[in-house]
Amino acid sequence: MFNRGIYAALLAAAVLMTQTGCWSSNEIEDLSLYAGLAIDKGMVPSVEKGMKEKGGAYDKKNLVTITTQVIPTKTGGSKGQQGGQQGQSGQTASNQYYNTSETGDSVIQIIRQFAIRRDRPFIGHHLKVIIVSHDILKSIGMEKLMDFVLRDNDIRPSCLVLLSEGKAKDTLDISQVPGDIPAFHLKGMIRNRYRTNKVLPKVTLTNLDGLINSKRSFVLQNVITEKGQIQFSGAGIIKGSDGKWIGNLNQEDVEAISWIKGNSRSGTLKYYANSSEPVIYEIKSVKSVITAKADGEDVSFHVRIESDGRMAENWKSGADPSKIAFQEEAKLRFEEDLRRKLDHLMNRLQKEYKAEVVGFGDKLKIQHPKLWKKMKHRWDEIFADVPVTFEIKLNISDFGSSLQ
Amino acid sequence: MVTHIFLQHVLGLIPMWSTILSYFPKGTVFFGAFMTLVIPLLLMRVIRLLRNFIRGSGRSLSGKGQAGFKEPQGGQGEGHAAVQHFYGNFDDDLNALKSAIGGNSDVHFREFVVAGANLRAVLVYVEGMQTEDQINKHVMKTLMKDSADEFKEALKATKPYVKNGLGAFIKKRILPVSVIFDVHNATELKQAILRGYTALMVEGMTEAILVDTPNNKTRTISEPISETLLRGPRLGFTEVLTENTAMLRQHGRNESLEIKKFEVGTRAKKSLALVYMRDIVNADLLAEVEKRLQTVDMDFIIESGYIEQLIEDDELSPFQQTQNTERPDRVLSAIMEGRIAILLDGTPFALIVPVTFSMLLQSPEDYYERWLPGTLLRCLRFFAAFLALTAPALYISFISFHPGLIPTELVISIINARQGVPFPSLIEVLILEISIEILREAGIRLPQPIGPAMGIVGGLIIGDAAVNAGIVSPFLVIVVSVTAISSFSIPMYSAGITLRILRFVGMIFASVLGILGTVLFLLLVCSHLVKLKSFGVPYLTPVTPFRFNGWKDLFLRAPMRLMYQRPDLMKPRDSTRKRRS
Amino acid sequence: MFIRKDDKISTSQAAIYLNNSILGAGILAFPRFGVQSVGTPDVWMSLLLSGMIAMMSVLIMVKLSQQFPGRTVFQYAKKIAGSPIGAVIGFIMVMYFMLIAGYELRVFAEVTLFYLLEGTPVWAIVIPFIWVATYLVHGGINSIARLYQIIIPASILILILSFGLSVRLFDINHLRPVLSEGVMPVLSGLKSMMLLFAGCEMTMVLVAHMDDPKQAAKAMVYGTSLPLILYLITIIVVIGGMSADSVMRSTWPTLDLLRSFETAGLLLERFEFPFIVIWMMQLFCNFCSFYYGASLGITQLFGAKLRPVILGITPLLYIIALMPKRINDLFGMGTFIGFTGVGLFLVLPILLSAVYIIRRKGLKQNVQ
Repeated sequence: MFNRGIYAALLAAAVLMTQTGCWSSNEIEDLSLYAGLAIDKGMVPSVEKGMKEKGGAYDKKNLVTITTQVIPTKTGGSKGQQGGQQGQSGQTASNQYYNTSETGDSVIQIIRQFAIRRDRPFIGHHLKVIIVSHDILKSIGMEKLMDFVLRDNDIRPSCLVLLSEGKAKDTLDISQVPGDIPAFHLKGMIRNRYRTNKVLPKVTLTNLDGLINSKRSFVLQNVITEKGQIQFSGAGIIKGSDGKWIGNLNQEDVEAISWIKGNSRSGTLKYYANSSEPVIYEIKSVKSVITAKADGEDVSFHVRIESDGRMAENWKSGADPSKIAFQEEAKLRFEEDLRRKLDHLMNRLQKEYKAEVVGFGDKLKIQHPKLWKKMKHRWDEIFADVPVTFEIKLNISDFGSSLQ
Repeated sequence: MVTHIFLQHVLGLIPMWSTILSYFPKGTVFFGAFMTLVIPLLLMRVIRLLRNFIRGSGRSLSGKGQAGFKEPQGGQGEGHAAVQHFYGNFDDDLNALKSAIGGNSDVHFREFVVAGANLRAVLVYVEGMQTEDQINKHVMKTLMKDSADEFKEALKATKPYVKNGLGAFIKKRILPVSVIFDVHNATELKQAILRGYTALMVEGMTEAILVDTPNNKTRTISEPISETLLRGPRLGFTEVLTENTAMLRQHGRNESLEIKKFEVGTRAKKSLALVYMRDIVNADLLAEVEKRLQTVDMDFIIESGYIEQLIEDDELSPFQQTQNTERPDRVLSAIMEGRIAILLDGTPFALIVPVTFSMLLQSPEDYYERWLPGTLLRCLRFFAAFLALTAPALYISFISFHPGLIPTELVISIINARQGVPFPSLIEVLILEISIEILREAGIRLPQPIGPAMGIVGGLIIGDAAVNAGIVSPFLVIVVSVTAISSFSIPMYSAGITLRILRFVGMIFASVLGILGTVLFLLLVCSHLVKLKSFGVPYLTPVTPFRFNGWKDLFLRAPMRLMYQRPDLMKPRDSTRKRRS
Repeated sequence: MFIRKDDKISTSQAAIYLNNSILGAGILAFPRFGVQSVGTPDVWMSLLLSGMIAMMSVLIMVKLSQQFPGRTVFQYAKKIAGSPIGAVIGFIMVMYFMLIAGYELRVFAEVTLFYLLEGTPVWAIVIPFIWVATYLVHGGINSIARLYQIIIPASILILILSFGLSVRLFDINHLRPVLSEGVMPVLSGLKSMMLLFAGCEMTMVLVAHMDDPKQAAKAMVYGTSLPLILYLITIIVVIGGMSADSVMRSTWPTLDLLRSFETAGLLLERFEFPFIVIWMMQLFCNFCSFYYGASLGITQLFGAKLRPVILGITPLLYIIALMPKRINDLFGMGTFIGFTGVGLFLVLPILLSAVYIIRRKGLKQNVQ
């Protein structure tokens, strides 16, 4: 009697358990991935206005506009109609992805808001790129904007962060190469670092986290758009104390930063011979050593840059790059060019923006930790008066495969 | 004052109390705890019931089994029926015999007279099993003609024969036959004749003599179909026990190779042989095997599979605990390691005990090739086995639960490919897997001419058609075919079946809890393997218990010069296999 | 004897068992605790120091256990300190083991739920886990040790591989400056790093089960140094790859490190997946370790039979695992367990040894 009771109870329990189903199982084709995220200042699109009039609104302040780039689109109908190829070739570029925007004041609420507008929920596992516009960073600090992103479990910390000059959503809407998805395009462009030093090393969310936490100023790569084309151009400075954007550095400044940090993989220096004939130096390797000298409370930095490179292009008529004399002369002119760039950078950092973004603070921390501890809270202001000297040594070690 | 402080303390504790109480688990938690306890209890009870039920029939652990397992004397065995003795009188015995088995049309009685002694004699045989030549030349001719003189002399010399005299005389002096057995009672005589022996009864003999052994029809020795190798001897066992033991002796020439014969089966008897190396094998192991064989109590053992299932440690385990093979080279190498082989008359499949997990994935070819290809092929096989076990489960977990773990481009192609597929991934996988299992079963029984065509039909057309119809996604077809091919790479067929079964269990786990389900499934399988023993040897040796000696032969196959010791796990008496050069 | 009937483990098995008792949920979050308590990137020094201390106390425990061959701490504590105190000590240890088991289980559930299986209720993860663990532990310490032996090569391989792949993010400057603020931070970091070695009290139970107790010292030292090395590699790679600032803001820094890069081109582009799988298995081992320890304790304290106790504990473990309501509670529980652990494996053996030596001397004097 007792036995039967037990068995019945257990059977009931077992049946109960089957009613719950599989809890987190979502078939992959029922999901939408968003590969790019753009954060702009709040501007309400007309669709939303219309919906609001019909009562489709919730309590929010229109602080930010989030644009997500969703891939892939539904191909509607079975694959049999496509013949051999699956999906890709039979569609135009505009079908590969679509962008959708929402406005609100909390990033996660906005993203979840998409769930009441689309038939598939968004998952962020494959987010590749986050683009923030200068506009919104003028008023809201980076830490607040990125808070949800850093907290989320879906979004991988390997996602890249970029700044945009105009509207961030425009960077997600490029027609540069048909069939190309802008988010992937942007991510791929970062890889071009090995060809030029006008691109900063990538900043992932992990790096961003560390930078925000340390309350130091830093730079992020800038993206500009024009008529559907994008370009990496310069960098935006984020001030450490409040995480807001305070200004831009141009392409040459970014080059100078790479030179100082010594992490360029490639790049060029140029001088004009006879005022209009460019002669180009291509970097093969760069090494830079920053020494921090502390004399009591007086800090100064000495940067020693050594570089090995080649004569890449010569427009000067009558000059022979294979001759040592010409190389020596060119070397001096290249050094001038570099010094000019470095001075320009220092000027902007120390006088104009009063922010230290290159990494001098790190060097001070390593070499004079006690001093750093005292100074780190006001480092940006102190840096504005710190003298920085440069020592440049270039070496032209070859001239390519053509003699003249 | 004191009460004041006391009250303060007590009142101060109240908020603490409420926080403590808030942490006190709610009712649902207790229910969950109850479930945690009760379901394993229930499962254990069920398993114990099952085991007792299984063990209760077909196997008798008491000494009753003695009846079914006995060393033969002269090739016969006792039966359950009561033993009938000879009357002692030729006519009576003959008549009794005729009434017992004369009804069979293929039993013949050839009566004749022994020359010289004028004694009546009769040859009884079953048609088809006698060697005509032997009987005619060596028995009948000798008795009817050649030994006339001997008989006459014997007659003169001795009195009418004392008991046992005539039989011994005939055996020792008269019959030029090498294989002769005695039969002492009528029951044995009947059984022997029906078995195919030719019996000779002479007037005045107290016993009957069997003068001819059954002439079995056998097939030629050829490579076994189920275990082909590219390189290696193309020998396989046949259904005749004597031929098999002869083959072993021929190829494993060693005086310590010992073959012990037994009889199993109560109603229809079969000979069974234990083969081992007397000076290598562990005595306890031998005793254990014999003990288990003693408990085999069935009336007819057709195939060694019956024996395997009756002597194994754990019937409820999906893993086999004895190895079966048709190849004598496998048997011989196993014996050299200290294992024991069991051969059964009537089947070419020999059993090897004890077995460990690594043996299921090893192939003799590993040893015949050099160590580098041997090692790499073995690693490949292990990987294939792992794939065969977990690939569908991994597919299900990634597609349904963790799309974030797949590379992005792959995700996009999968999403595109899976548009329009109506089923969740579990159902999809089940559909394809079950179809492949059905195809496999059908393929075994297909007649030769249709075989390859069906392969094409099954593989290409069904797979392709399913994809085009939108039932499954092409990615899944790849996964399932890779799984199927991997499972074919396992050298032992029985191990392949195990993996197939487990694969389905893995799929179900994965469909409930994703990658966690797969991990739990793997842990469950590993826990089971870890507890499994085959005749006292832990199944997972030499992975664990960690015997470095055995690792030379597990994932790698170390160069021949290094393999100079027998595996520790067998605890052999003589552990040196080869002298180090 | 061909078929072994006893439940003993070999030397290498004992070392691996100890390793698995120590290496557990801590590996995910400890860089953050370390950086928080030390303040400088010198966490690895604190770790090294705590490892040394743990090893010394393990040696003390081994010596103590060797005086009572075949007996676990539950049995000889009574002999040394007298029956009532010994029973109390044993009881505390049993409670402690159960707490750790429940804690590990809960951490496992939390991380799995957060990163892998959002939406699944906690009990759906905890209950099957407990069931599989029960199946394993039912086979005795021999089976448990054997499973560990299977898992450990794969664990180490994947851990090393994961960290090897993160070397590309490694920047030695994140670990500098060394000893910028002197030794004080290192010492203050000890209190959080010692918690990592909670679990080495299993030594007092393990030595009784060893085939060859004389090898116990060697085995236990190996068993402690392996987690030490793994922890060291972890902390160096994590801080070097992520910089201390980032570590401080990350709840599970080790996982975040692995999620912050992608190995392009490999099928396993996202390398946190094998890491999580291995971590799950490792946690399972850890849980079984303490589960068995607790069951054994109850058996030996109350004279019950092992198998029914193993089953009977399961609801308790479930309740403990579900007790913390917030993740802060969970971390608090972890800290509490850590401190108890430090008390048990630092203070207890020393006390017991002291009492034992005093008693022995007293006996000797009596005899003379």
